[in-house]
Amino acid sequence: MSIKLSRRQILAGTVASSTLALAPFGPAFAQADSIVVTSYGGVWEEAIRDLFVADFEARTGGTAEIQIGGPPQWMSQIEASLDNPPIDVLVNTIDLALVAGRTGLVEKIDRSKLKNIDNIPDRFIDAVQGWGVIFDYGSAGIAYHKERVTNPPSSIKAMIDGALAGEYVLSLPGISYAPTPQMLIWSLADALGGSVDNVDPAFEALKKLQEANAVIFYGGATEFLNHLEAGEAELGIYWDGRTWSHFSTGAEWIGYINPEEGGVMNPVVVQKVVNSSDAAWEYIDSMLAPGPQLGFAEKVQYGVTNSEVVYPDWLKERITPWEDTRWPPFEAIGEAIPAWVDRWNREIGA
Amino acid sequence: MSGKNAELETMASTIGARAAVRPWRLMGFGYIIPSLLLLAAFFIAPLWFVGEMSLREGRLPPPGGGLWQNYERLFLDSFYFGVIGETVVLSLVVTLICILMGYPVAYFMVRHASARLYNLIIFFLIAPLLTPIIMRTFGWQVLLARRGLINEGLMSMDLISKPLSLLNSPVAVVLGLVHVLAPFMILSIASVLSGIDRRLEESARMLGASRGKTFLKITLPLSMDGLGTGAILVFMLANGSFVTLLLLGGGSLQTLPLLIYQQFNTTRDLPFAAAMSIVLLVLALVCLFFQLRLIRRKGA
Repeated sequence: MSIKLSRRQILAGTVASSTLALAPFGPAFAQADSIVVTSYGGVWEEAIRDLFVADFEARTGGTAEIQIGGPPQWMSQIEASLDNPPIDVLVNTIDLALVAGRTGLVEKIDRSKLKNIDNIPDRFIDAVQGWGVIFDYGSAGIAYHKERVTNPPSSIKAMIDGALAGEYVLSLPGISYAPTPQMLIWSLADALGGSVDNVDPAFEALKKLQEANAVIFYGGATEFLNHLEAGEAELGIYWDGRTWSHFSTGAEWIGYINPEEGGVMNPVVVQKVVNSSDAAWEYIDSMLAPGPQLGFAEKVQYGVTNSEVVYPDWLKERITPWEDTRWPPFEAIGEAIPAWVDRWNREIGA
Repeated sequence: MSGKNAELETMASTIGARAAVRPWRLMGFGYIIPSLLLLAAFFIAPLWFVGEMSLREGRLPPPGGGLWQNYERLFLDSFYFGVIGETVVLSLVVTLICILMGYPVAYFMVRHASARLYNLIIFFLIAPLLTPIIMRTFGWQVLLARRGLINEGLMSMDLISKPLSLLNSPVAVVLGLVHVLAPFMILSIASVLSGIDRRLEESARMLGASRGKTFLKITLPLSMDGLGTGAILVFMLANGSFVTLLLLGGGSLQTLPLLIYQQFNTTRDLPFAAAMSIVLLVLALVCLFFQLRLIRRKGA
């Protein structure tokens, strides 16, 4: 028996089989009964899955799929399909959260749909102008190698002076690391007498450090730890939570100091994407609930924002109270970033 | 005779008619449609989107603005023009070093190594490719650090009194890239060298050519295809390399891939990043064109 196929049949079959073959790789568009949420990788993803997603699924019976990545990538995905966004809940940095609000990617917080919002201090909503809510924060202070630096500096200014005096080499965030404008450029300017409108003191200090071969730059968070372990640097500006997480894995040589000027506040914002499922509000409510927030803090060792959360003693010692941190002018920094990056490239190097 | 011809013609036309109705003939070029669809969906469409994005207003537009503002910023600002130059020079230097290092290794493998040694060298060339590039780059960080193996070794031998700044330098970047890319060059050259008829070289020697002249006049021209393939592979990969520069460069070298990442990750100036991506692509295509021309001329 022979089977005769027409050109049309063969072409139709080819296209259909190609489509079927590619179907599993298609984007996971958000659906009403199943939402897509976002997370950074590593321990963050574990914590999001075990705490917030678990709480949301247990309460609502819905499902939440986690998409791992970073805010610039997620925002590009949403921009590309605004009517049918592939993401329902966006985890964001504060500068990009403000951009997302201004460009219509996210909705304003609806207090009537979030029963845990009343336990979140207003500052954590006002800082984002209502385009989301801060659920977690880190603080950038001084992390150091305890065996190599016996007398660590107590302030950012003392840290720069010590490095220029040849006491140690610093590992500082480079311009390819997204939080650098806040955690380094503004922080240095602020500590050395400048401001968001005058970052000359920061750039002058960085140039002096370079000339003295007293600084190296890291492009990703893990690289800082490599610099200290490999002996390339002795101390630098780093996150409290990441320092303590590393300490907890057995690296007892690492220490952390909240500088006299105050660590730099680095909030993490959660936002509801426009045209996304209403179930996104339920998920955001899980992210603001005291139980899951405490579990999250214990796992990632960063501060959380629900005022009902009571940290155990071991964790309380490690988390920098948000009242003791410096809050950068996020919106003004967001506007200044392109000029700062351009200046950094010309004066410091990529 | 004419009757036989007519019969043959009839047979031929019958066979032709049968062939014409065969399914695969019916398809014509239909079998390449899935590939074309994939190409259109995942290459042409994104490229079109990137091209269109590059014409939008950037976050730091040059005075005057205009449709081509991002390209004006790249080509008229001496800093960014210098970055384009640095990208090309780095790729050329890495390609040249890979050729100079890779050719002798490939030649030794094909001409002098026993079968066992040949396989062993192949294993040592391929094994590192199975390790993620980031792990290999971190390895260089450990070796080149101030308290790394090299500095510690030199200091223990009293050859230096204080650690050398080996990491975060152009030398570290070139070392890292050559380490990652040399296998592509060696394997490309070796595969072509092994196909060269040894009798051609022997004939040249018998006709009085020296070893050097035989190599220059016979072996090298015949191996240009492999050398060219290796050079194109290494150049393209070096041109777009990013992780090695980020981890070993420490800002000492500024190339387009680094700046593209920065514009996407830190500045979120997507139009400027898109313009840089288009320039990087055009740069790679122009270099590919000249390399192919050069190889064809040398190989001819």
